[in-house]
Amino acid sequence: MSVDFEALAVEAESAVSTASDFAQLDAVRVRFLGKKGTITTLAETIRSLPTEERPLFGQRLNALRQAVTAAIENRKAFLEAETDAAAFAALDVSLPGNIPNVGTLHPLTQILDRAVCICRRLGFALATGPCVETEFHCFDALNTPADHPARNEQDTFYFHNGRLLRTHTSSVQVRVMEKNNPPLRIIAPGPAFRRDEIDATHSAQFHQLEGLYVNRKVSVADLKGTLDFFFRELLGTGAELRFRPHFFPFTEPSFEIDVRASGLGDRERWLEMGGCGMVDPAVFDAINKSRSDQAFDPEEWSGFAFGIGLDRLAMVLFGIPDIRFLAANDLRMLRQFAV
Amino acid sequence: MKFSCNWLAELLGDLPPVSELNDLLTFAGVEVEGVETRGVKIEKVVVSRIIASEKHPDADRLSVCRVEDGSGSERPIVCGAKNYKPGDKVPLALPGAVLPGGIKIKSGKLRGIKSEGMLCSAAELGLSPHADGLLILDPNSPVGAPICDLFPSDTILELEITPNRPDLLSHQGLARDLAILLKRVPAFPKISEIPSGSGVPSMEVKIDSPDSCLLYSGRRISEVKIGPSPRWLVEKLESCGLRSINNVVDVTNFVLLETGQPLHAFDGAKLSGAIRARLARHGECFYVLDGQEIRLKENHLVIADDLRAQALAGVMGSSLSAVSGSTTEIVLEAALFDPATIRRTSRETGLASDSSYRFERGVDPCGVLAAERRATSLILELAGGRAGDPVIVKTAGFDAVANPREVVLRYSRCIDLLGYKVAPEEVRQLLAGLGLSLISTSGSGLETVYKWRIPSHRQDLQREVDMIEEICRLAGMHRIPKKTSGWYASGSDADDLYDFRLRVARTLAAAGFHETRTLALISESALADALPGLEAAMPLKNPMSSDHSHLRPSLVPGLIAVLDHNLRQGAGSIRLFEIGSVFSQDGQEHEQLALLVSGKTPSNLRQPSPEGSEFFDLKGALELLGIPGLRLSRKTSPLPLDLEVRSGDLFLGRIAALPSSRAKVLGARGAVFVAELGFEDLRSVLRGAKSYNPLPKFPAIVRDVAFVANTALRHEQVVEILTGAGEVRLESIHLFDLFEDPAGTRIPKGKKSMAYSLTYRAADRTLTDDEVAAAHGALVARLEGELGVQIRG
Repeated sequence: MSVDFEALAVEAESAVSTASDFAQLDAVRVRFLGKKGTITTLAETIRSLPTEERPLFGQRLNALRQAVTAAIENRKAFLEAETDAAAFAALDVSLPGNIPNVGTLHPLTQILDRAVCICRRLGFALATGPCVETEFHCFDALNTPADHPARNEQDTFYFHNGRLLRTHTSSVQVRVMEKNNPPLRIIAPGPAFRRDEIDATHSAQFHQLEGLYVNRKVSVADLKGTLDFFFRELLGTGAELRFRPHFFPFTEPSFEIDVRASGLGDRERWLEMGGCGMVDPAVFDAINKSRSDQAFDPEEWSGFAFGIGLDRLAMVLFGIPDIRFLAANDLRMLRQFAV
Repeated sequence: MKFSCNWLAELLGDLPPVSELNDLLTFAGVEVEGVETRGVKIEKVVVSRIIASEKHPDADRLSVCRVEDGSGSERPIVCGAKNYKPGDKVPLALPGAVLPGGIKIKSGKLRGIKSEGMLCSAAELGLSPHADGLLILDPNSPVGAPICDLFPSDTILELEITPNRPDLLSHQGLARDLAILLKRVPAFPKISEIPSGSGVPSMEVKIDSPDSCLLYSGRRISEVKIGPSPRWLVEKLESCGLRSINNVVDVTNFVLLETGQPLHAFDGAKLSGAIRARLARHGECFYVLDGQEIRLKENHLVIADDLRAQALAGVMGSSLSAVSGSTTEIVLEAALFDPATIRRTSRETGLASDSSYRFERGVDPCGVLAAERRATSLILELAGGRAGDPVIVKTAGFDAVANPREVVLRYSRCIDLLGYKVAPEEVRQLLAGLGLSLISTSGSGLETVYKWRIPSHRQDLQREVDMIEEICRLAGMHRIPKKTSGWYASGSDADDLYDFRLRVARTLAAAGFHETRTLALISESALADALPGLEAAMPLKNPMSSDHSHLRPSLVPGLIAVLDHNLRQGAGSIRLFEIGSVFSQDGQEHEQLALLVSGKTPSNLRQPSPEGSEFFDLKGALELLGIPGLRLSRKTSPLPLDLEVRSGDLFLGRIAALPSSRAKVLGARGAVFVAELGFEDLRSVLRGAKSYNPLPKFPAIVRDVAFVANTALRHEQVVEILTGAGEVRLESIHLFDLFEDPAGTRIPKGKKSMAYSLTYRAADRTLTDDEVAAAHGALVARLEGELGVQIRG
């Protein structure tokens, strides 16, 4: 019996490649490989062949079966790919995605957290103190006695019981040193209050990050290195700092910190970010007196302190033009600071 | 304070450009707050005199003037102004002059009439931002003189002098500091000796309060002629923002600006008897210059004659003895007062002056009498008269402050505090440059100890650290290296609180809530928005405005204000939270967490907003925090809904709905829910450590049950019945459908459909279907029996 295997192969290949869907392809499979299919039928004829012809016939038939099976698999994969592609061809990928209804953290919280993370890398632990303060903690212990020209009652909110709203977070320094022994290294973020006319840059309430480091032989160089690290971490290594000599009753020497960096508005303009200085020995003396000991002996211990304006930092970093926007909590603005 | 660069240049020689001066001052610790220019710097503008003026033949608004320009000839000038008369002296811009606006003056014809120059207004010369008509000059101005001689140009620096540096509150003081930075020697005017024996009768001076008045000098000057001050004096005062009053008063103000020493001149004829520095009597009257009358207290220092207080010491003189045009005899006061006394007097009377500003910061004790002589000689020069000898009373307190102080500086301390090894020679140079004199040096190397004598004008240099500050300032901060040293810091409770706060904030943000930060000061009217029982607040004694008059007792009023703001901006769905301090009526503070929900749950394209789920958004946020054993119980309240929130038995706070009338006023759509919880309590219940629960080894079988019940049936009743059966294989109960049909078609009105998934599992084996069917059947029967619900197919 002579079978034209080549012709069969050509026929099968043509049938497979013209099958345009899974049903047609299955019909091709049945036609060639089904129970009554061409190849199955041929296989049954093998027993009727002379023994010497069987091996060759068997080989050729097998090759044909494999070729057809492979062709069908290929075609199937092709048709599947085509169907998959068609399924997504119609997908309008420009439609809006499903965004979960998440809220936001206030920009001040975000800036504070960046600042806190940097300070923690430097080994600062957090500390807190009350907003409603005594004159002692806010002024007297900070070397600002009652008749000191820097003690401006006009700028301070008072209560009828003689307490006041702290005008700076420096009062936390006093609270911490009253309760803890040196060495210590703390930051204290929180609100402070000034009786100012409210405008784009002044609010009755603002936020500061206070820092205090007391140890043996703490120097101006430590102060400079720490704040330099802080601002470069926060604003990028291109940030520049300058320390302008200034006056605060509770530090000596005292400086104002100016910063400039790309991304902070005008690259050439120095922006005032806060104050700093070496803890005045008079502050240590006042603490010792309040503690009735000599734990902070100014001959043994020295320290630096700084106060950074967080509102100002948020304003320059995020380009917020008015401090009042931070307290307005307009959702349209808050949403711009999605986490 | 305002400083005139011309004046400083008189003391120091030519100054560097303003930008350079700005940097020098900035790094010397003096902030330059403003720079302005004064006067005229234009050439070819001269004083002219209008000889005659007539109307322009061809223009109604113009006139043609004939003016004299000092060259001997007359010029025709066409002019549009109307405010002059022939004989007036006015500025004339000659051809070739260039005015500040860039206008070039040329000869030409205006409507056919020749005009050889331009008559100028103050604005055209840049002397004033606007002007009406020509600038009419002083009739004594010499015709032909350059205008820049009348209005010399000057740069005025507005400087912020810090309270520790009162020595910089004068031109000589600033010049002294600038001289160090510029490496120059300042030249101060010589003070001529006042001849004694003029025959002017002496006077009596007494100091009754030696703690407050340390030095008093009174000098009688007779036969003075009060009149206007010369141009140079007026110019100096005006450049510093002071107004010229008369020659005598101007001299005292001039000497104040020059030396920093406040002085006062009394009309001698108005004083009777001895001059006395004493404390005021309670309720004593003092007549202020502007006619106001104030009452004094016992701790206010006055300068009095035999009858009454004639000056509030160091602050200002009384109107009763002020120098006036008819004054012929004056008493010149120079004194040194205790800074704290002056500050108290000024603060309590609400009166302040250039004098009190300086006295309360401290003036140079050794400069008082020199300034007095300077003023006397200027008065004699400008107002004539004969000066008596000064009557000077010094107290022991004066000797204490006037005696030169000696301060020890340890070299090792200096380099330890700076963290920089500034050379010993440089330390000596810098301090010597400040006018300090080295008395002795002992030890060597790091152990060197210097003893310095401090000049009297540097009252701020009291301690070693004050001198180290000066070294740091003058050596320059840029030379100090940057050092960092980390260490290990144990977390404090404040660290834990901070981290917890951030965790809660992030969880609530994930639940769709926006964090707000509102001010701790709120208005009295906003207190009405606090939850009932939390309205009592501590008021400020000295509020700045009624908007910020009370410390918030609750975060809710702040959140409602934010709600109000955002509703006005058209926001529909508002989910807010704040973590912050609240304050009790006696000022105790603690932290709270507050939440606010208004408007539907936000929808998106594929998930429309469910109806009436606002309350559950709020409750869900609290559930997401993971409060264990969260329980809500209703309490009687004026609010439509007021729930106590507990974790187990621990009271955490409240959830409430605003009255609909309030919600309506705010413009909210639907109900507004708020919650306020104690943050420390929340921290205590959420403090628990997380731990691993073994995962189940055997599969669960889930069976659903759906039923129709009365709408009054509560979910917790269903849960109670199901869990109360003691079925140990029941692992969880999940309500997955809740439905009411207001139309009453699918289920009757007054009824609701509830569908639960019940999960069954055993820890030690795989449950069989039969086993679960029996258990489930029993629970379903229990629901039917106990709650009377109707099970749905």
